[in-house]
Parts: sequence; C-alpha cells; structure tokens
Amino acid sequence: MGLFSNEKKVDYDKIVDKMLPDARKELDESQYDTELGLNMARDARKVISGKLKIEDFHKVYSSSLTKEFGNYYASETPDTKKKSDGPKWAMVIDLKKCVGCDTCTVSCKAENRTPPGISYNVVMESLEGEFPNIKAVNLPRPCMQCDKPACAQVCPTRATYKMENGIVAIDNDRCIGCRYCIVACPYGARSFDFGDSYEQEMVGYNDVTSPEYGKERGNREKGKTPIGTVRKCSFCFHRLQRGEEPACVETCIGDARFFGDISDPNSVVSKLAASPRAFRLKEELGTHPNVIYLR
Amino acid sequence: MSNLAVDLKQKTTSKTKINLEVSKAFKIWISALTIAFLIGGYFIVERFITGLAATNLSSITPWGAWIAFYIFFVGLSAGSFLLSTLIYVFGMEEYERVGKAALFTAIVCMIVALTFVLMDLGRPERLLNAIIFWNVTSPLAWEVHFYMVYIGLLTAELYIAMREDLVRAAKMNTLKGFVARLITFKNATINAATKKRDHMWMKILGTIGIPLAILGVHGGTGTIFAVVKARPAWNTALFPIIFVVSAMVSGTALLLAMYIIKKKVQKQPIDQGMVVSLSKMMVGFLIIDLGLQFYEYLIGWYGLEAEHLDSLATMMASEKAWSFWGVQMFLGAVVPITIVFWKKTSQNINALLAAAVLIVIGIIGVRFNIVVPPLVVPVFHELPWGNYAPTIKEWMVSVGVVAMGLLIYSFGELLLPIEETSDEVSHNGK
Ligand code: SF4
Ligand code: SF4
Repeated sequence: MGLFSNEKKVDYDKIVDKMLPDARKELDESQYDTELGLNMARDARKVISGKLKIEDFHKVYSSSLTKEFGNYYASETPDTKKKSDGPKWAMVIDLKKCVGCDTCTVSCKAENRTPPGISYNVVMESLEGEFPNIKAVNLPRPCMQCDKPACAQVCPTRATYKMENGIVAIDNDRCIGCRYCIVACPYGARSFDFGDSYEQEMVGYNDVTSPEYGKERGNREKGKTPIGTVRKCSFCFHRLQRGEEPACVETCIGDARFFGDISDPNSVVSKLAASPRAFRLKEELGTHPNVIYLR
Repeated sequence: MSNLAVDLKQKTTSKTKINLEVSKAFKIWISALTIAFLIGGYFIVERFITGLAATNLSSITPWGAWIAFYIFFVGLSAGSFLLSTLIYVFGMEEYERVGKAALFTAIVCMIVALTFVLMDLGRPERLLNAIIFWNVTSPLAWEVHFYMVYIGLLTAELYIAMREDLVRAAKMNTLKGFVARLITFKNATINAATKKRDHMWMKILGTIGIPLAILGVHGGTGTIFAVVKARPAWNTALFPIIFVVSAMVSGTALLLAMYIIKKKVQKQPIDQGMVVSLSKMMVGFLIIDLGLQFYEYLIGWYGLEAEHLDSLATMMASEKAWSFWGVQMFLGAVVPITIVFWKKTSQNINALLAAAVLIVIGIIGVRFNIVVPPLVVPVFHELPWGNYAPTIKEWMVSVGVVAMGLLIYSFGELLLPIEETSDEVSHNGK
C-alpha cells in the first residue's frame, strides 16, 4: 500500500513540475540575480522540511541579499531561541535544614530501583571542629548535572551528553562501559552496573526496572542493558516527564531540597541560588554544577 | 665492506637453519604458550559470560589490572617503535639487528594492548561505538583512532623492511618461502632502484611515525589520564611526557632482553657491543624517567592538596607500597642501574639480561602505580575508600592475553623473515 501511494505522489510532483513556470526563465526576466533566487528557493524548501535551520539560512544569504536589494530588503535572523525555551532544571539543597536522615538516599533507591552497590544519591557526613566544639555537616550528593560536565567531555562515544533541560543523560544503549566517565567525574556521582541484584533478599526485584531517561526496559536480566554500562542520578527525569519532582525532593523530611527552573528568575531555586549562602561543590574545577548548596 | 661480508655469511647460515624443521626448543615453547593460552582462554570466556563482576573493580576503583597492562603494552609498543626509528630514520646501524624485530614487537604489543581494552569494557560487543560515534573532546576516542592508524603504519613499515628478504625467501622451498610468495607480488625484484625506493619509504614512514608514536599513541595515552581534573595525581602536564619516556625505557629493555634470550636459545653469537650500548641507552632513559617522576611527586607533595597527598600516601606508605618501593624503585630502577654501571657486571651479558628483564617488570609496577592509587582515594573524603587487588580471574585473563601475544609473535617469526639481516641499513648509513 505504502509503495502505491508513494508512486502516485511522485506522479503528482511531476504534473506540478510541468504546470509550474520554469523558474530560471522567469527569474532571468527579472533584473535581479537568477542564481541567488534559485539557491534561496532550494534552501527554503530545506528549511521547511527541517533539513536546514532557519538561522543558518539567514546566515548564508543575508550578505548577498543586502548586496542585491540594499539594506531595506534584508531581514534579520528571527530570534527563535527564546529565553523561555523550556525549563533548565536545578536543585538547591539547604545544608542548615538537612538532618542527615538519608531519606533521600532510600527513596532514590526505591524510585530508581538501583542494584546493590549503586546509590545515585548519598549523604556525606562529617564532623567539623575539635571536641567538644564540634558540628555535624551532612552533605547530600546527587549528580550535579554540571553545565560543563567532565563526564560528557571524556565519554568516547557521546553516550553521555547534556540535554537541553540541563540534565546530563546517559544513553545506556550506546555506552561501551569503558568507565572513563566514572574516573573523570569530580563528584563520584557515577556507578558501574556490575549486574548485582537484590533478588535474594527481595522477591520480584528483577521484575521491574525504573524507566530511566524515560526509557522502559522491562525486567532486569543478566547481560541486559543497563548491566555492563554506567548509571547515575537523572534528576528523576521520568518523574519530571509526568510533572513530579525528583523523589529525593519530594521525600526530604526537613524540606531541605528545592527543585525548579533556574532559567526563570522568579523561581524559588533562582532566588535561593542568588542568596549569599549559596555555593557549589568544587567550583574551582569549572564544571559549573546545577546543584546549589546553601551553607 | 668486510662488515657486509660478515652480514652475508650470517644470512646464509641463518637460512640453512630455517630449511631444517623447527627446533625442539621452539616446540616446547609453543606448547607451553598454548597451554597458558588455553587456561587463560577459559577465564576469558568466563569473563565474557559473567561480565566485569569477575573482577575486583568497583565504582570507586573502576580501572585496575587490565588498564595497567593496557598502558604497559602501549608503552612497550611505542618504545620499540621509537627504537626502530633510530635505525631506519637516523641510520644508527649498530642496532640494525633488532630493527625488524622492533617493528614486529610494536605491532604485537599493540594487538595485546587493544585486547586488554576489550577485556576491560563493560560492553565489549559495542567497541566500535567509539569509532562510529567519535566524541572529539574525548582523548580515549582519539586514542582508538590513533591506534588504528599506528598499527597500519607499523604494518606497512614492517612489510617494506622485510620486502627484500621476502623476495629472496620467495625463491626458496620452505615454509617462509611459501608465505613470502603469498604476500609478495610476482614481479617483485631487488635492484638498486627498489633499494632506493624502499629506503625512502622507510624513512618517510618512520618520520611520520615518530610524532604519531610520541604525541598520538603514547603521549596520547598519558593524556587520557592527564586530562582528568578529578584526580589531582594525574592532572599534570608532565604526565604524558613521563609516559613517553617510560615507554622508551620499557621498549628498549624488552628488545634487549628478547635479543639476548633468542640468541642464547639459538646458540648464535651475541653482539656484545650492541648489547652494552643498548643497555646504556636503556638506563639513560630510566634516569630521565626517574628525574621526571621526582619532580612530579615533589610538586604534588608540596601542594599539600589533601587528595594528592592521599594518592601519594596510598602509593608510598600503605600496605600496597611494596609495589612502589619494591617493584618500581628497587627491582625496576636501583638494581638495573647498579648492574649497568658497576664495572664487574657492566660487560656481562647475563647480568645485563637480568637488568633488562627487571626493568620490564619494574615498568609493570610503574603502570599499576599510575592506575590504581589515585583511584583508591575517593573524590570526597567522606566517600568510602577503594580497596583493589586483582582477582585470580583477572590475573588468569591477563596470562591468556599475554600468551596470545607471544604466540602471535612466535608464529610471526616462524613464518616471516623477521630475523634475517639484510644489508639495508649499511647502505642507508652511507
Ligand atoms: S556530577 Fe559528575 S556525573 Fe554528574 S554531570 Fe557532573 S561530572 Fe557528570
Ligand atoms: S562508560 Fe559509557 S558513558 Fe561512560 S565514558 Fe564510557 S561509553 Fe561514555
């Protein structure tokens, strides 16, 4: 069926081609450049079919258009990249509110059904000062979804990449498991899936996996992706898709975590990120994390 | 001229030998290797079935023995190739006897290195993704491409270096002659013009190869580590240079050891002058290497950065420090330097052989100490520390892969005219 309709379409195309006046002839009659007109028509079709970006189209032709028609006729590149292009996700963690209960760690494990040995989120606990003047510092650490991610920089296959919404994604179907990204992440946010399972302690653990990065993978099986590849926190991308906050944000008992769109200056995270208490981990490395802490 | 005559005589003697059946020692050697390869092969198959769970690796220490062996063999390859350029590009004819062997060693070492990478991947079947989806900011992706080009260049160079011997061998009714007929053109001849052409190509390929081996292959492998800003102990500009220099150390040592052992087994005369001067060169490289390492450690230590200090402490003052002090420093540096400079041993072939073997072992230690200690220290102090020692399975897989490499090398020597000395270089020098 598809074949037939296809052939017919080609026929129509031909008929239309015959009915249309010959572009070259028509343009030759005008006082303006024929080649320019033909080229622009060809590329305009590309723009419509999505093969060429409108910005590139303008970039290519604006100078020749100015030459041909003078400043008056040439139009500027339309500003398609609006600021409100969609959210850019960020998280703010208030260390003053964190009590170190590890609820986030547990809820993350439950949500993402991570196997033994893998925890996307950990709470790093340390003591500061000399006894008796000591204070406990709890530092929850998800993946920072860096703006300049060291992991994506070194990944040989581009399996790790930065999405437009700010989340650093792993394409587990492409990852070759070289673990260079684990080595390169300054925050220790990545883990290798060795294929371990809780099936012994927890009946049915293998039956369901979490749809990480929005991809349903069914049950967990020996040798099946993501086993043999690298995994990390995705800001619960699959929950964001349904309009929910990441599991750690939702379950935090101290309400220490905030989540939102950092590109919107009126969002809670933007305002908190502007606070003098705000800092990021290992800022000196230039990774520019999107997880912001309040000290 | 007399030099040439000696060469020719040697050539004829070696050729009459080849006409005979393979020697008994060779048979024993091959069977031992085959057994090692089969045992290792069992574990290789097992590793592919169980995946990386067969190792002691973890998410804290994600790289271990196989990566250490991988950089070790890349180093051997780059080192032996650079040594061969001394002969074919710079006309140092005194080392000519190891020229073709150096090229062939370089190829085999690369094959072994890439096999180790394959063993180490979580998803070995996707290896080609690194070529298909080339990420230009990833040193690792660049390396995979450089390795391919490098192996191609080495093969071309080895072929040209062997061409005359192949043409000569093709006329003979031996196994080598048969192989030679397969890979030479029917109308291949040797005359002044082809000689000139071959010299020219050897020089051109060797010259392209030098930057490729230094910057691309081995410096590049060092870059894989040096660019990782998360690990201060690697993240220095000196790192790739240390890689190249230690490659020269291990490459020279390996070729020296191989030359002596082979000549001993075949009961052929050993060129003492060459052995002595090669071992001087080897130790020279080793001393430069030690100097660079000294600055590397000094500056890291002086910086007082907690993580860097921890890495150094893991290397030099933990329960695994024996591999630094014992293997890398004592066996791999102090003993061989003493052997080469001490009057009583400096002319003794056996002692120099021991020095070369120790240096090769020492460089294995160097490679482990590069890979493991900075990965034992976690990126945050509060995270758990790594605790890595290779499992039996990892060792056995390594044995299998190395045995595979030695088998390839041995059969290559059996089938290709790698040992025959031609008058190639003596002409080149003039
Ligand atoms: S925290 Fe690590 S894994 Fe996450 S984006 Fe940054 S470098 Fe990559
Ligand atoms: S392990 Fe996967 S995601 Fe990480 S660097 Fe290698 S290919 Fe990329």
